[in-house]
Amino acid sequence: MKISRRDFFPLAGAGLLAGYAGWEGARSRRPSPGPTLPGPSPVVVLKASSYSADLAQRILEGVRECGLDVRDKKVLLKPNLVEFDPATCINTDVSVVAAAYEVFRSLGAAEVIIGEGPGHRRDTYSLVEMAHYRDISHFDDLFVDLNRDDVSPVQGFADRAEMYFPHAALRADLVVSLAKMKTHHWAGATLSMKNFFGLVPGSVYGWPKNELHHIGISQSIVELTRIFHRSFAIVDGIVGMEGNGPIQGTPKPAGVLVMGSDLPAVDATCCRIMGIDPAKVEYLHMAADSLGNVEESRIEQRGEKISEVRTNFALIDSFRGLRLT
Amino acid sequence: MADSYLGVRLDILRRSQNPDGGWSYYRGKQSWLEPTFYGALVLHGDPAADRAWSLLKSWQAPDGSWPPTAGAAISGWGTALCLTLAHIRGELDGPYLKGVAYLLKTAGTESELWRRALARLGFFDPGRNLSLKGWPWKQGTSSWVEPTALTLIALKQANAQLPATELRERVRSGEALLLDVRCKDGGWNYGSPWTLGEDQRSYPETTALALLGLQGRAEAGSSLDLARNWLRDTPSSLARAWITVALRLHGVAVPDVPSSLEGPGSPDLMVLALEALGASDGNYGLLKTEVMG
Repeated sequence: MKISRRDFFPLAGAGLLAGYAGWEGARSRRPSPGPTLPGPSPVVVLKASSYSADLAQRILEGVRECGLDVRDKKVLLKPNLVEFDPATCINTDVSVVAAAYEVFRSLGAAEVIIGEGPGHRRDTYSLVEMAHYRDISHFDDLFVDLNRDDVSPVQGFADRAEMYFPHAALRADLVVSLAKMKTHHWAGATLSMKNFFGLVPGSVYGWPKNELHHIGISQSIVELTRIFHRSFAIVDGIVGMEGNGPIQGTPKPAGVLVMGSDLPAVDATCCRIMGIDPAKVEYLHMAADSLGNVEESRIEQRGEKISEVRTNFALIDSFRGLRLT
Repeated sequence: MADSYLGVRLDILRRSQNPDGGWSYYRGKQSWLEPTFYGALVLHGDPAADRAWSLLKSWQAPDGSWPPTAGAAISGWGTALCLTLAHIRGELDGPYLKGVAYLLKTAGTESELWRRALARLGFFDPGRNLSLKGWPWKQGTSSWVEPTALTLIALKQANAQLPATELRERVRSGEALLLDVRCKDGGWNYGSPWTLGEDQRSYPETTALALLGLQGRAEAGSSLDLARNWLRDTPSSLARAWITVALRLHGVAVPDVPSSLEGPGSPDLMVLALEALGASDGNYGLLKTEVMG
């Protein structure tokens, strides 16, 4: 058997060899304790054909449809800001971030801040500038560099005794994952749950946050979702990314915003929109039942029907098997 | 002096020092090893630097390593910075030796024997030389450009006092690893020159750090033009500051970098310290290393 370098080195230790991967996979499938699922999870799919649409109105509609109450809560908006390339669409669009900020303020949140800890680049503020996030009014007063915020440990993270997280995330009553709808060359898809990698501080774990790869990407996604379970997801699928995501893929207009409080259910819905079978995405398989609903029958779909907005995202060869039939 | 490019920065750094002697990344936050290291470096000889070093010394773990901030039960990459500072201060006693020993026994997991054996047996194609050993951000993970470059500085400086075959071999191997993971465009990113068959682009900040680790190596010369271009083009004040330090240490004449003081996130105390370090009259020379024979 030949395993190519792409399987091995770029994030060396991520799932290095077949044997190692098998051991890692077996280890990572231990169920994590999570909240008991109360019943079907509402997930809202709303059409938004462009970033010039009235996104605040759409997001407000989605938040209300989900019955989310943010009054008097400290809210952390966590966009997906990875790298910047003007030729493509790697990051959550600034207009989605701005609209979400406006909505959560208008709904009576006690505090709304924006925070991100990019996984590759050291200069968070430079990325923020390039992605035009500073166009948001008073942005510098709202923003926290999660890579270099003060930290405290949380006990228990996979097989690690503890994991450090930024205070801005730990003190939030609600973490809103403002994710981008993208394929991911290691995880299959990167949506609201994988976006929480940016909550892990680079000043402790480095750039990239290789500790998460050694724990196991899927296991880490699940553990982050378990720890930050007081969360809400708004996935920017207005223009997503297909193919070799999350950085070198191709823009893919899907024309939707997907929202909900059950992050596995939101991600499963996004997968179905992207033409990916969520049951075959490892991290969703691991999260199903203990952290959220993944089965379609357990998701209360509101807004648009999936069949009306489904648009197959191109998949790299190693993930062709994820295609939803 | 107080109004000069360097003086303005040193003044802000003195006023921003935490009561415990350390510096945070942003004013009013907890002290971290990294900005404290750079603060102490640029204020070397100043009482503020002595207070910073006292704090850092108190953080050393029993195994000789340093955590990134007080009380964090994680050790790794900051150890190299503290050893560099100890060397500059001439404190080459037991804790220093223990720290050097820690770095010598630490390597990225990708070079472990069983992985190399499987690669040799053809189970996978690593696309790089797994016999080369670099350093990880955190023990038990893989080697990456930045911790490898910073450790090379510390160990090359240590070689002057602690000539040892093992140390020289690790330096040789670490330098070779950096050259092995150079991107096709001539620079470095965090340490992954290609993914899924596609070349990855390099970044200015990691290119600067790799150049710091490769001081004196002729093979690094071809990357200097790229660094010079980035110094002109990158919007990142952090990258500009690191590139300036690297180019000066490679003997390239560069002007003081544009000020970050009006930029977003300002004042970023680590960027400020790096700008002071790379000033024409700054302490960048403290990171100078010699080529090892």
